[in-house]
Amino acid sequence: MLSTAYPKASFDQCIKCNACVVNCPVSNVTLEFGGPKHMGPELKRLVENNEYINDSRIDYCTMCGNCDIACPENVHVFTLNAFAKARHIELTGSKFRDLILSNAESVGKLASAFGPITNAAMKTKPIRKIMEGIMDIPAERRFPEYRFKNFKRIYKKKTANTERKIAYFVGCSAMYNNPEVAEAFVKVMEYNGIEVAVPDQKCCGVPMFANGKMKQGLKNAEYNVKSFLEYTRKGYDVVLTCTSCTTALKKEYTHFLKTEEAFELAEHVYDADEYLRMLNETGELNTNFGEVNEKAGYYTPCHMKTQGIGNPAVDVLSLIPGYEISTVPADCCGQCGTYGFKKEKYEVSMALGKSMAEAIEEDDSTYTVTECGMCTNQLLQLTSKKVKHPMTVLAEAYEKAASKEPVKA
Amino acid sequence: MYDVVIVGRGLTGLLSAIWSKKFAEKVAVVAQGTGKVVQSTGLFDITPGNEETENPFIKTDVAEKAVAKFKELMKQLDYPYQGSLEKPVPVVTGAGFVKYTTLYPETITPVPSTGHVVIVGFEEIADFQPAYVKGNLQTERPELNIDTIKVRLGEKSLRTLTQNDAARLLDRKEIRNGVIKQIKSQMAEKNIEQPRLFIFPASLGIANWREAVQDFHEALGTPVTEAPGMPPNATAIRLEEKLTKEAIRLGIRFYLDTEVTGSTIEDNKVVSLTIKNNSKVNTLKGANFIIAGGGVLGGGLTVTAKGLKDSILGLDVDEFGRYKVCPENVIPAGATLGTKMLKFGITGGIFSIQSGYESCLKLEESLAGGIIHA
Repeated sequence: MLSTAYPKASFDQCIKCNACVVNCPVSNVTLEFGGPKHMGPELKRLVENNEYINDSRIDYCTMCGNCDIACPENVHVFTLNAFAKARHIELTGSKFRDLILSNAESVGKLASAFGPITNAAMKTKPIRKIMEGIMDIPAERRFPEYRFKNFKRIYKKKTANTERKIAYFVGCSAMYNNPEVAEAFVKVMEYNGIEVAVPDQKCCGVPMFANGKMKQGLKNAEYNVKSFLEYTRKGYDVVLTCTSCTTALKKEYTHFLKTEEAFELAEHVYDADEYLRMLNETGELNTNFGEVNEKAGYYTPCHMKTQGIGNPAVDVLSLIPGYEISTVPADCCGQCGTYGFKKEKYEVSMALGKSMAEAIEEDDSTYTVTECGMCTNQLLQLTSKKVKHPMTVLAEAYEKAASKEPVKA
Repeated sequence: MYDVVIVGRGLTGLLSAIWSKKFAEKVAVVAQGTGKVVQSTGLFDITPGNEETENPFIKTDVAEKAVAKFKELMKQLDYPYQGSLEKPVPVVTGAGFVKYTTLYPETITPVPSTGHVVIVGFEEIADFQPAYVKGNLQTERPELNIDTIKVRLGEKSLRTLTQNDAARLLDRKEIRNGVIKQIKSQMAEKNIEQPRLFIFPASLGIANWREAVQDFHEALGTPVTEAPGMPPNATAIRLEEKLTKEAIRLGIRFYLDTEVTGSTIEDNKVVSLTIKNNSKVNTLKGANFIIAGGGVLGGGLTVTAKGLKDSILGLDVDEFGRYKVCPENVIPAGATLGTKMLKFGITGGIFSIQSGYESCLKLEESLAGGIIHA
């Protein structure tokens, strides 16, 4: 049963200490947002066994999850906010634009089918002005490119026959926008003697949850849980290259679906670098990397922070000879998935990105490494540095060792 | 496998992490929540919550070294602290009481006992009421001549604002100018003379605190001070942000939103921690462990009908919450040293600085091949 009813949550533990508010990136740049405490445990406390209050101040929540990271009392602030958003949209309805944005997968399928045309159109000012007028998508906002040769067209393997087997949840970004990330991931695993299967899958649901489309998101969640459990029950590990999709499978599915199956799946889910780090610890990792003399700065997406696994990308990339990588003390990027594409949120998105961009520019590195496709979009718009996914760097290092030829910078 | 795993990211945990990075290569911090720094005043007292200037658990020689090291760190992080252990100074709180504090940031000016002061509040901030502050301060400082002013920050808000919000607004020059203009016009209107000190809630900027303090000081022609009170105080938020960012910059690995649910102990040594993030359970291996879980208040200790229970490592504790048998590679720090170490349930203050410093001394010894003597 898919329900938008609040899960049995932990609001009673809230002592109103404000730790979530102080650590909420959005609250710190705008007074339009009600704040995670007011919209989360306090609202819930108010409406428990009472008439529901439809509070539009929830609209500014980006669902980054920093509130959960901050809460010392283990209140599920994020989940409470997510349901407040779902209820608000259910009662109020949403813009046509948000219906489009929340369907990132359909957009990806369509846009990549007309890849070159879409990309050219999205870079044409008059078209963007019209889009701004009709759709409230700001003309200045950078858009990720769509690839005709998306990963779905390139890679169709549905089973793996090696000892360790990976069921890869690709995610819309690596599927339609950055297929090179998915290809690099498969290559990295190949170098480790692990075959990668791509099970049937739908968008993880994060863009839907973030736009208050809870029921639709839960449908996708249910589909994915069912599809991937067939694999985990055969000994596959579920590995992902997108931090937001990973958070969905590890955390949101369990909190939102609340099913035994969702919990069962979560046990088998790994971030790609978390997986490689584990292989390294068990002595299974192929560490035959070629020397890469580069200096990179790692940007931690909020959805990496919230996983509670340290910085696996930096741990793994540090194994490459000659490779220098620092962790940049930068806050939330402000793109926040579909959030930064909205005209009325654009100012907030830019205000959030400002301190992030300053930290990135200050760091003594030549390019930035990060996992999240959406953070990458903001990094490319607001900083002068190139951005690479850790899998791309690793694939290059493996290839370099294999070919003994220098890697292009 | 980490050289050291630190449990807790309160003041003791963060300082231990930053300082241990000098000699430990791989450092991890496991934390559920931010720790209690953001709930603090950001000021360092000998005994938090009390006027005492002596505390049997503060060892002067160690504390002095620790304080010097802390001041050096904060200077490097561009949020310098002043003050000394020997001579605590009187400062005014957000409730108007006077307390003696040992270390305080440059946004704080000690409160005089005579002369004239003006307390400035913001209409939008309910947690700091100038008239209330005045009432208490007048009792504490009968010879002080006190005036109050209330001004507007001037931004429309859809939520109840805190000192943190005011501080983020005052990071902006145009908001500061608006506030300064109102203060000047009200002083002229009410014939308020030039005071010795302007007292504000703890909200004089976060990122741009230096510019904020300077602007108010120059425009008003008098020193200004923040009066930390109801959390969140800007004084504390700056401290927390600076320390956390430094720890990230140093490459310390943060395991956030993560609960420690138990430990594996072999031959009186902790081999690994069992950690849980949402429903995912992992193990975290370390050669050494600093436990800075904050005692009862921080969640490291749980009060049960049968007495105190260690909720981190799951060890047996005595009536004061101290480990009955401390594993060889475990360094208890801060409030984990037992409830005897604190009054009023909190550590914080100088004790946390001292404890962070001492745990690093012990850790350095252990990493050099010695045995920890907890």
